[in-house]
Amino acid sequence: MRFTMKLMRINILKLISKQVWGSKIKNSSTLWLIGIFNILLLFSLISGFRNLSQQQETVEHYSHEVRERWENRPDKHPHRMAHYGYVAFRNRFPLSFFDFGMDSYVGNAVFLEAHKQNTVNFSEASLSNGLLRFGEISAGMILQLLLPLLIFFWGFDLVAREREHGTLRILLTQGVSWQELILGKSLGLFALALSIFVPSVIIGFILLIFNEFTSENPQSYLRLVFLIISYLAYFFILSVLAILVSAKAKSSKSALTSLIGFWLFFTLMLPKVSQVVGQNLFPSPSKIEFDTTVEQELIKQGDSHNPNDPHYKALKDSLLTAYKVDSTHKLPFNYSGYVMREGEKLSAETYKKHQAELVETYQKQQNVVRFTAFLNPYMAIKNLSMALSGTDYSAYNDFQNQAEDFRYHLAQTMNELQIKYIGNKVKTSADKKAIISSKNWKNLPDFHHKFLNLEMVLKNEIISIISLILWTLGLIFLVKYSIKNLKAF
Amino acid sequence: MEALLLKNFLRSKGLMTGLLILFVAGLISLNIGKHFLDKNKEIIEKTAHYQQESIAKNVEFHPKEIGLLLYYVRFGLVNDMPNLVGLAIGQRDINPSLQSVTIRNLEEQKYATDLMNPMYQMLGNMDFSFVLIYFFPLIIIAFCFNLISEEKEEGTWSLVLSQSRNPLKMLRIKILIRFVSVLLVLVLLLMIAKFYLAIPFNAAFLAFILTAILYVGFWFALAWLVASFHKNSSQNALILLLSWVTLTIVVPAGINALTVNLYPVPEAFSTVLESRDGYHNKWDEPKEPTVAKFHQHYPQFSQFKHPEGKDYSWLWYYAMQQMGDDEAAKEALAFKEKLKKRNAFSSTAGMFFPSIHTQLSLNALSLSDMDNYMNFIEKLENFHEQKRLYFYPKIFTEAAVSDENWKKFGLEFYQEQPSINWVKMLLPLLIISILCMFCAKLKFGKDLMAR
Repeated sequence: MRFTMKLMRINILKLISKQVWGSKIKNSSTLWLIGIFNILLLFSLISGFRNLSQQQETVEHYSHEVRERWENRPDKHPHRMAHYGYVAFRNRFPLSFFDFGMDSYVGNAVFLEAHKQNTVNFSEASLSNGLLRFGEISAGMILQLLLPLLIFFWGFDLVAREREHGTLRILLTQGVSWQELILGKSLGLFALALSIFVPSVIIGFILLIFNEFTSENPQSYLRLVFLIISYLAYFFILSVLAILVSAKAKSSKSALTSLIGFWLFFTLMLPKVSQVVGQNLFPSPSKIEFDTTVEQELIKQGDSHNPNDPHYKALKDSLLTAYKVDSTHKLPFNYSGYVMREGEKLSAETYKKHQAELVETYQKQQNVVRFTAFLNPYMAIKNLSMALSGTDYSAYNDFQNQAEDFRYHLAQTMNELQIKYIGNKVKTSADKKAIISSKNWKNLPDFHHKFLNLEMVLKNEIISIISLILWTLGLIFLVKYSIKNLKAF
Repeated sequence: MEALLLKNFLRSKGLMTGLLILFVAGLISLNIGKHFLDKNKEIIEKTAHYQQESIAKNVEFHPKEIGLLLYYVRFGLVNDMPNLVGLAIGQRDINPSLQSVTIRNLEEQKYATDLMNPMYQMLGNMDFSFVLIYFFPLIIIAFCFNLISEEKEEGTWSLVLSQSRNPLKMLRIKILIRFVSVLLVLVLLLMIAKFYLAIPFNAAFLAFILTAILYVGFWFALAWLVASFHKNSSQNALILLLSWVTLTIVVPAGINALTVNLYPVPEAFSTVLESRDGYHNKWDEPKEPTVAKFHQHYPQFSQFKHPEGKDYSWLWYYAMQQMGDDEAAKEALAFKEKLKKRNAFSSTAGMFFPSIHTQLSLNALSLSDMDNYMNFIEKLENFHEQKRLYFYPKIFTEAAVSDENWKKFGLEFYQEQPSINWVKMLLPLLIISILCMFCAKLKFGKDLMAR
């Protein structure tokens, strides 16, 4: 045995894989299936792309409107502007039509105002009835979930049937090694998978070129390249897996049963069960709990509205001493603006701290699911594909952070304007002296949602990447060394 | 013969394992449902507590002006969750079942979401309805794909044909045994659920059970139809599996994609913008028109006026807040109409596909569907309006904070009664099943004649 384990002969591999391809492709049902899958992919790519363009247009339209309305506000007190606030819309990544990921489950619009962090609302899921929960049809879903079923269906009998018909023994006695047989058959199966994958990638690439936002994000192309490599690895893994099961199984029927069993367990059961486990291991707070915790901590820090509050009293006293005056009215800047700046800083820090804790809990929950990728290549490709398409949680979280940073910047800019331009003696915000020119509004830069860079994306999904690599290497290793106990008849 | 077939079935390891898998998956799903119900109960209890605490604290901080106090005070409305939700969680993990609102403008508050890990929503729950819709058919397929072909492939079919005058009867008994065994597991699970989740035995639960039974019945009817084609085992398995993939994955996702494409909802965004401008812009405008519009909306408060020459009054402030709702009303209505259209489209399209129809029916019975949420939102609007009408006169007459019994403002509950349209719910499943059986009968009849 040891001596037969020389280098595999390329021409034999070619021969075997061509034989697999030829025997399947002459079957009309194979052609039908390839056709149906290609149509399905075409439909989902185009409908995903249409939906993306529609979304982008809507977001673009309303973002302009928000900006216009902001700039056209008349002269007024800056704090009124801080409350007028901004609305930030989440942009979709140009490649998101390929894999919808979590896009439908995360919010799209958030109202940004002083003192308060609002939730990001109007997720697609909140606008939908139960139908969405069956899953969405995207190219990603078809390639991750349905194509494997097809690979298993095409591959289950490739070795088992040869054994049942006795042709396996003939092949082996003719000098074909087990390794060559398995790898050759796997490559044939892989080629069949490519007949579905390649057209979809080409269409995806063309659609990507046509999206007007791609040019702003040239990394989309690079992301597509990584996406292609990942899917190739995934299909290779599944092809080898199918052939190995077929080679080990007692009969072709039992090979089919086990493959379908695997598919069900790994794509339907395990993800759902592991997310429930993740939630129970790392419980996360409800909105009301979260808000109450933040509120209680803020109360402890001091109440900026209460003149006798120790924190703000100390602040006042130190200011009065530093400027050698006896009343806040005599300070050379607007005192209430100063206090609000302080309050905004404290509350934003507190919120940020708790938000970071929450995100950490979510990530721990997600990691439970993510680590199953070492058992489950489906989870690896699902997470990686989502991340590369810009539809994963970190992409959303990044948007949330950008929106909060913008909110903070807006509130503090308005506070600065108040500190600088508003006198201490004005009674209300309607006072003539409390009003500043609307030119100031234009000076605030617009909100631009930027996307994560590729490096960050790959770093976030390092577990999925390692898992795909380990699976590929592990299966190659398995083909090379664990075939001693395979039977030819 | 019946006894023999039954014995054969009971001895088959594969079939028993199938039933066991269903049972265990069902138990896991019940546990997940229980957990969901418990968590909801906990949130409500905590919120009830927080609300009392927060009102007391605010009353203490703002004892002088009731107008200022009501800027802060939140009132909670709970969308009551029947225990049946434990079986079909539906949209309840996406739309909050509890909303706390102040009497300020509602548009800025009513769409607020709960905190949820989106990965959790994406992967979804393994609730009982999932097990029923996805797992039961698979086991049924495994039970029935070789109903005849098994006999043919093992060479016993010719024996049956030669010995029995009516071979169809044997097949009928064979599939009936399988049907009854699966039904037993289903009913057993539902009975366990009844006690474990404390589900009251009412019309909704009865409809739930019937829908589940009819759904299972549909898959047996389909398997029976496929058996009538007299194909070999692997072809049968392929046809049935393809039907399963089509019905539970491809078609629902396809209809969803169609709905999203046909009915985009830009109204969601415009509502936010209109409401924001409706309120905030009033700060820069003269006060009289705002107050006049308020009086137009509520003629009963015409006697309250904004004190002339004053920079601020609570009447003016709440009138501005009111404008946030009033000026977005058109958009908000369009938004609601759009959602209704979406809902109507997908549920009508869903009637033709047992998987979708079953899921939507179960959600409707459990009050975890879109309709329930929209009704809740309507109720919330109502609730908010009542609070406004109650407090507006007190604010405008500057009633003393201490005159109000603040303890009486606990959580309020919205309890919807599911409206059960038996015909619309059960008929689509029945018709499709009967159609399958009828075609099978024709096919079997033809084959027997040909013999």
